[in-house]
Amino acid sequence: MRNLSHYGPALCVKFYNDYVLAGYGPFIHVYDYRSNTLINKCRLFHYNKVHGINISTYGKILAYGARSVTILKLEDVLKKASLEDSERINSDWVTGATFSFDESQIYLLTCYNKVLVCDLNCEVISRKSLSGERSILYSGIIKVFGPDKVYVNAGTVMGGVIIWDLFSETKIHNLLGHEGSIFYVNLSNNGKYVASCSDDRSIRLWDLQTGEQLSIGWSHTARIWNLMFFDNDTKLISVSEDCTCRIWNIVESQKKDAELSISNVYEVHLIKSIWGVDVKEDEMIAVTSGNDGRLKLIDLHQLKRHGDEELSFSLDDITEQCGIIFDRNESIKGFQGFPFGVVAITSSGKILKFSDVTKQWKLLLTNENFISYPITNGIQTDNIAVFSNNKSDVLLMKFSENGADIIQSEEFHLDELSKTNNCLVAEFNDQSFLLTLQSPNPRDKFLCLEISRQDLKIKSKHCFNKPENFSPSCLTSFKNHILVGSRFSTVVIYNLLDDNEEPFIIRRLSPGDTTTSIEFVESKDHSAVFSVTNRDGYYVFIELTKTYVEGLPQHISCKVLHSNKMMKGFLEGAFFNSNGEYITYGFKSSLFYLYNETNCYELASEVCGGSHRLWNLSKIANGHILMYIKASRFHLRKIYNSVVPETLENGIHGREIRDISICPNTNANTNGNFNNGHIFCTASEDTTIKLGYFDKKTGKVNNFWTQRKHVSGLQRCQFINERLMISSSAREELFLWELNDKYDKRPYMTIRQTLPTSTNNPDLRIMDFDVKFVSQSGNFILATVYSDSTIKIWYYEDDQNKFDLIMQGRHKTCCLFNVVIITLKDQILVVVSPTNGYLVVYDITEFVPFTVDLTSGDLVETKLNTTISDLPAPVSQLQVHQSGIKSLDYVVDTTRSLATILTGGDDNGLGLTNLKLDDANTAVLKLSDFIASAASSTITSGMLINSGKEAITTSVDQVIRAWKITAGKLSLADKKRTTVADTGSLDIISNDEHPDSNKTLLIGGVGLSIWSK
Amino acid sequence: MGKSSKDKRDLYYRKAKEQGYRARSAFKLLQLNEQFHFLDDPNLKRVVDLCAAPGSWSQVLSRKLFDESSNSNSEDRKIVAVDLQPMSPIPHVTTLQADITHPKTLARILNLFGNEKADFVCSDGAPDVTGLHDLDEYIQQQLIMSALQLTACILKKGGVFVAKIFRGRDIDMLYSQLGYLFDRIVCAKPRSSRGTSLEAFIVCLGYNPPSNWTPKLDINTSVDEFFQGCFLNKLCISDKLSPWDEEERNIAKFMACGSLESFDSDATYHDIPSSIVNSPSSLDPVQSPTNPPYKKALELKRSGKLTRSV
Repeated sequence: MRNLSHYGPALCVKFYNDYVLAGYGPFIHVYDYRSNTLINKCRLFHYNKVHGINISTYGKILAYGARSVTILKLEDVLKKASLEDSERINSDWVTGATFSFDESQIYLLTCYNKVLVCDLNCEVISRKSLSGERSILYSGIIKVFGPDKVYVNAGTVMGGVIIWDLFSETKIHNLLGHEGSIFYVNLSNNGKYVASCSDDRSIRLWDLQTGEQLSIGWSHTARIWNLMFFDNDTKLISVSEDCTCRIWNIVESQKKDAELSISNVYEVHLIKSIWGVDVKEDEMIAVTSGNDGRLKLIDLHQLKRHGDEELSFSLDDITEQCGIIFDRNESIKGFQGFPFGVVAITSSGKILKFSDVTKQWKLLLTNENFISYPITNGIQTDNIAVFSNNKSDVLLMKFSENGADIIQSEEFHLDELSKTNNCLVAEFNDQSFLLTLQSPNPRDKFLCLEISRQDLKIKSKHCFNKPENFSPSCLTSFKNHILVGSRFSTVVIYNLLDDNEEPFIIRRLSPGDTTTSIEFVESKDHSAVFSVTNRDGYYVFIELTKTYVEGLPQHISCKVLHSNKMMKGFLEGAFFNSNGEYITYGFKSSLFYLYNETNCYELASEVCGGSHRLWNLSKIANGHILMYIKASRFHLRKIYNSVVPETLENGIHGREIRDISICPNTNANTNGNFNNGHIFCTASEDTTIKLGYFDKKTGKVNNFWTQRKHVSGLQRCQFINERLMISSSAREELFLWELNDKYDKRPYMTIRQTLPTSTNNPDLRIMDFDVKFVSQSGNFILATVYSDSTIKIWYYEDDQNKFDLIMQGRHKTCCLFNVVIITLKDQILVVVSPTNGYLVVYDITEFVPFTVDLTSGDLVETKLNTTISDLPAPVSQLQVHQSGIKSLDYVVDTTRSLATILTGGDDNGLGLTNLKLDDANTAVLKLSDFIASAASSTITSGMLINSGKEAITTSVDQVIRAWKITAGKLSLADKKRTTVADTGSLDIISNDEHPDSNKTLLIGGVGLSIWSK
Repeated sequence: MGKSSKDKRDLYYRKAKEQGYRARSAFKLLQLNEQFHFLDDPNLKRVVDLCAAPGSWSQVLSRKLFDESSNSNSEDRKIVAVDLQPMSPIPHVTTLQADITHPKTLARILNLFGNEKADFVCSDGAPDVTGLHDLDEYIQQQLIMSALQLTACILKKGGVFVAKIFRGRDIDMLYSQLGYLFDRIVCAKPRSSRGTSLEAFIVCLGYNPPSNWTPKLDINTSVDEFFQGCFLNKLCISDKLSPWDEEERNIAKFMACGSLESFDSDATYHDIPSSIVNSPSSLDPVQSPTNPPYKKALELKRSGKLTRSV
């Protein structure tokens, strides 16, 4: 077995020149952060994790983690794959380590508050400690101020921060004030301050001289793990379990006091915990590393790198700047961003221009027609500003490329409408753009104008019938159609070639209300994919297909390919960036956010006004410009694309992966983009399911989507064929997902059906499920087992898309951990494992309307009975394990008369049980082999491969074991350690027809490892 | 999760409330005893409960050694419960608010025992977990080692030590070390401990330390120094950090405790089993939750003071 790749917690991170070094399990990863390239992965430790890295000025690296320490040359770390030979082991946990002032020695702080002074060969020169202090430490650093001045800063479990002098071994301070364990302590370089953080979620700033507490910083909403001073000790950066990185200003007042004030919050990691942080002070770039395995770069000068990120003007400011006189109570009513700047309109009909080059305002004209309820739009590619009012007047202005001149202007009134309450614009083709006007009067038509980009003249007018409750909110065009998003989560599609054609209406795309954007995504054959966002936080990808049947009008059909909901807040729009990542934007109460939805991190945020805000987001060449009115001021916030890569690693789930499922046979239905590996799903304790893709050769993982439909921690996910996947969790949640991977850019996945729950307020956990297909159809039976001992059998009809309960019953009162449906000859058997270590077999053959196809073992439908049968009594029971069976897999032999069941237990045991039909055709369980101490901890997953000749198990002791099975007996063939803690899930892609071909193993827990066997 | 839904999920929680135990963990000790009968020994006299707060194991000890005991000479029985946190009083139990690593604590217990050694030491202590699995496992093992230091100084030969463990990556190293101090080590999992949790208990039977080793508790020695010469497999403290070497590991025998008829801690119950049906439908927990260190942060959050404004 060979490890291909690993994604998991990155505990520490450091800048060194243009390199970023990150502790990634037992490895150090080295990146060139500017070019975003991984330079080397170097294994430092046999299996301890790298918790800390220190780099000397001469390029020596001191790394430590758990009881391991190593001193290395940077040049080796840059090139070599393994430096495990240099690993040294201390008897206690190493909490902190650093080089001495002249870098000829190292200091190691152990968790018992003792310091080992060692030379660079790890020979112990002396041992230092503080007499009478032996509290165990969660944290501690050694700060070297000079050859004779070295301070040990120890964070105890009892709320105290003990600072002591290394050489005199005397206590300087025991700083008291925090509650709970201290998780980090740091000192400022100038020796003035101590900063500490703890279980109490506060940061405290102390005076190092006097030991006095200067300030408490409240802001983090969970435990704080790390912090450091930067920017000449004027700022602090902290990272936390709440997945944010926060910046604090140390405000020094005249009384020599100092105050912590929060100045920035970055939501950049997945739940939960950011462990590491470092700042490159000359560039003002931070890097953070988290439990999700992400390495995130943060531009700390996001608001001042270009100098014009933040501008704001009151009307008085504009008057002062360029002499424009405004009326009393006049205010800005609309604005639109362009490459040259901004065009805005006031409540008195003044049209103003702001030049991005000169940063000057200019009054262009005053048009009193547009005093009442003006609506501002624009076609940015042609510098065309569009104003309309409620009297159905439209004013079009086209600006020269640099925005200096108005090169074309048109104003017209539309008699077709009695009133206008909304105006939308959209690009159409090279020659023209589209403008729609909506009237509140139901008798008025919905008006769409095709307008020349050149001379702004109307080229054609379309009057469309309006469906009921039509209230347009966004517009896009596709070929000769327009797609209009409306309230009630509706999209209406009109054909520009035929005004009388009935529109195609898609209703209730999501539970939300106002459709906020529709964007074309990609197309293939006769289908096109659009992303539709809803203000309530939902986004949906729909596939529109046009079918042509001879002699009939064109027919459009719509299918939902993908749907999801943002974590919180309002969703105002979304687009794909140049890397193919889905970027969403909207508001969380008063906060505007721009969010990378593909990889789940905030790109930018801005505190805007309240709920009736006037705002606009426009694209500019190297980013976006956000305009909004807050407290009567017009704000311009430029959100430039980051000057550094956003991430060096995107990582995976930040909490335990509970199950993994590889989509079988993906190659069969894709066009080649996903041919070098497989699409797969991970189900996590964090309640999300990720859909990703791994490369078989390199093990590299790409994430496509993070599905948030489940509200509780996942138990299982399983692809039941190449198109359908089922996931289950607590609160009786079981969803049937449909995968679509026919498009070139990414696969899509949406919920096809939800399993009915037993009550309106379900509190049962669906522990496991299994599926058996009906021969040559998409229909299947589904067995579900619950935490209250219930067993249910459902029938799913593909074309009806419906789950019908066909059987239910209860085993006893204990929780059921696993279920499989096994067919042996003509018998349909359900095998469950309760928490007591038994295997229990139910023969349901007589009670369900199916027979068994004797060659494939699939089911054959007989007459469907509509009554719900009771679960019969079990036919066989056998105690295989002492306590709960955590994993269950089986194979059926070629005669289809014997099933071999592999079970892994909480009792460290591995069992092999035969399930056979006796002479009376009754299923009987018989133990074939049992290895009591097959692991030193719970065996959480096990799979049979090569038709049952081999097995792979994973267990919480972080060992992957390969077993050989000969004549019904298990023997250990290989074992390898994995860095994945809380190892809990496994899936294997293998080719049983070629037993010697390579297999790929995906191992999940806190992280994900990909192995080749 | 409301009070009643927790009741439904967790019959042991409910049962604990009804029987007046301060925590559901009382049943873990009871089920361990069902298997090993260490508390049923009529000769059991001196018992120590380490990391005892809130005190449910001490309650079990008190009831087993006094209330339920048919032994007439229970007056020479003594239970000492030690914790850094304060504990409300329990009948027949002497509580000490003290540090288990401190020699003074050892002296106080020995004093209470009239300088006689203990027959039984247990610890249900667990630190707060950070989510760094290796650190959490290490700290838990250090807690056990701290308890074991005191135990080594106070337990009679042949005595029993029981402690909570989390079966993670290096649990087999702990088993191996304990093997040098006791005749028999069992990894026991009571049915009241959830199958979905990594929690289990080491039951160490027959205290039998190396004859040439004398344990001595000193505030300035580390755990490692304390066990020098005891754990023969372990590296000696030397003048050089040693190269990496695979350390000795052993897998302790696993034993599920509590009968199969006892309640299942993973199950959701709809009908309250008849054995505990005669009680009020919703009881208050006996011991209200202690003040968490982040209490102030919660107050600030509730009053909207932690809402993001930058």
